Amino acid sequence: MRVARTILIRLLRVVSLVLLAALGTIVLMRVAPGYFTDSREMDGQYASAGRAAVQERQAEEGTLAASLAVSVRGWSHGSLGQSRQYDVPVTQLLRERAAASSKLLLGGVAAGWLLSLALTLLLSARRTRAGEPLIALSTAVLLALPVGALATFCLLSEFGGPMFVLALLIAVRDFKLLYRMLRQALRAPQVLYARAQGFSYARILRVHLLRTLGAELLSLAMMSFAVALSALVPVEVIFDVPGLGQLAWNAAMNRDLPVLVAVTLVMAACVGVASLFAEAGVTQETAQCA
Amino acid sequence: MRLAFTVRPVAWVLLAFTVLAALWIVHRSPMDYAMQDRDHISEGRSAQHSTGTDELGRDRTVRTAAALLLGLAGAVAASALASSLAVSVGVGAAFAPVWIAKSLMYLCDLFLTLPWIFLLMTVRASLPLNLSPAHSAELTFFLLALLGAPVFVRVNYARAFAVRNAEWLLHGRASGLRTMQLARRHVLPHLRPLFLSQFLIYVPVCLIAEANLGTLGLGVTQPLPSWGSMLQELESSAMLAGSHWVYLPIALLVVVLLMLELVLFEVDA
Repeated sequence: MRVARTILIRLLRVVSLVLLAALGTIVLMRVAPGYFTDSREMDGQYASAGRAAVQERQAEEGTLAASLAVSVRGWSHGSLGQSRQYDVPVTQLLRERAAASSKLLLGGVAAGWLLSLALTLLLSARRTRAGEPLIALSTAVLLALPVGALATFCLLSEFGGPMFVLALLIAVRDFKLLYRMLRQALRAPQVLYARAQGFSYARILRVHLLRTLGAELLSLAMMSFAVALSALVPVEVIFDVPGLGQLAWNAAMNRDLPVLVAVTLVMAACVGVASLFAEAGVTQETAQCA
Repeated sequence: MRLAFTVRPVAWVLLAFTVLAALWIVHRSPMDYAMQDRDHISEGRSAQHSTGTDELGRDRTVRTAAALLLGLAGAVAASALASSLAVSVGVGAAFAPVWIAKSLMYLCDLFLTLPWIFLLMTVRASLPLNLSPAHSAELTFFLLALLGAPVFVRVNYARAFAVRNAEWLLHGRASGLRTMQLARRHVLPHLRPLFLSQFLIYVPVCLIAEANLGTLGLGVTQPLPSWGSMLQELESSAMLAGSHWVYLPIALLVVVLLMLELVLFEVDA
């Protein structure tokens, strides 16, 4: 009963997150100046058709409540609306671009995690603190670079690609946290005792550290997923990857509300599901400790 | 810890020196950040332009100095506003009925889990197209402040709630002090170190966020220089072939962020 309640609360949390994102996006775009404009109005040939389309939309979505009602009605029928920019169903646009983004996201996060984990394990195995300022400095320099600038550097120098940029971003962020986490864990009394007893580093890591740090590692992995989602937009725009980030950027530049709402919904749902997994890991860990 | 005491003042001095140098350049240079020298477009270092010009012939030194000042001023203002908002909401929630406090914290948590770049893009894209450059800068940093406040609300609430339930505060309440008096005179001073920490932490975040937003063309509008609009120049390969001085803004941004990181060194240690 208790487990079912916990699951229900978490699912409600994800749903409310998605609804909040949708509501916020619709309200913002609907109150934006120039929402009821149509590019066809600029063209003399289509001006009357453009004006008629605007009037029709104004009649249908005259108030904020009406706009919300139209959107919700569409979602309940499985439709995310029609793109104002491309004049095709939004679901079609999402389907076409989801594959490129998923591939980039999963590959980038996985590569970033492997890199940061390998570096952390390698560097935390040392018994001295020599070289710590150098590690801190190089991490700080990489963290200080905006994703857009990093992507541009890679593009111009023809070194690496979008996945490399995402992987590097994740690796640097996670390395900083992982390294600190592991160094602290290695200084714990029971680990020091195990080391004094002659246990190998690999065994300490497997038997003590990975078990105790499991939940934190899972949370960190989910957090890096959220970071990668945010970095998706500049990376896809700069490398011209036809994914969801580029679609969202195009929609934002062209005030394509249905597309922007749909992409924000998808991203919010992804973050919600990721946080669900992270919380599940922490709860399991707490239950094991209890 | 001893290293932190050595590094921190040095970082402050370097930061102050950089800001003063930027101020000096902007005020003493005969060029304006928007002035176009059409005879020297996309040039490298020359007698008139010490670090070259951009694709419209504008002096890069002056524009970089102005971008530094604008970026830092905007980030400091946004960070101060975000921290103040977080403290206000945190203290307000601590003194409010439990259901209001819980609802506020839930909303903040939900807000935190949203992918911020999509939200920022939505908000920025929904602004009027005829926005003046100064207004676009104000609004961009104002949005960053609004989006940053929920990050710090929970920790402020927890601290304010602990102080509110302290015995000495109960004594103050029993002595007839009103809620506003308690909050202003007794709770807020206890949140000052927290305010300072979150303020310092959020300044570099605002700088990077503005740079990322500007790279996408959704930040401060031209001709006002900002880190984001300066970084957009990097996308022009022709400019890069012409002069390596085009890397100046990004190099300076990294240096400023490193200095801010060193300022925060003590917090980390």
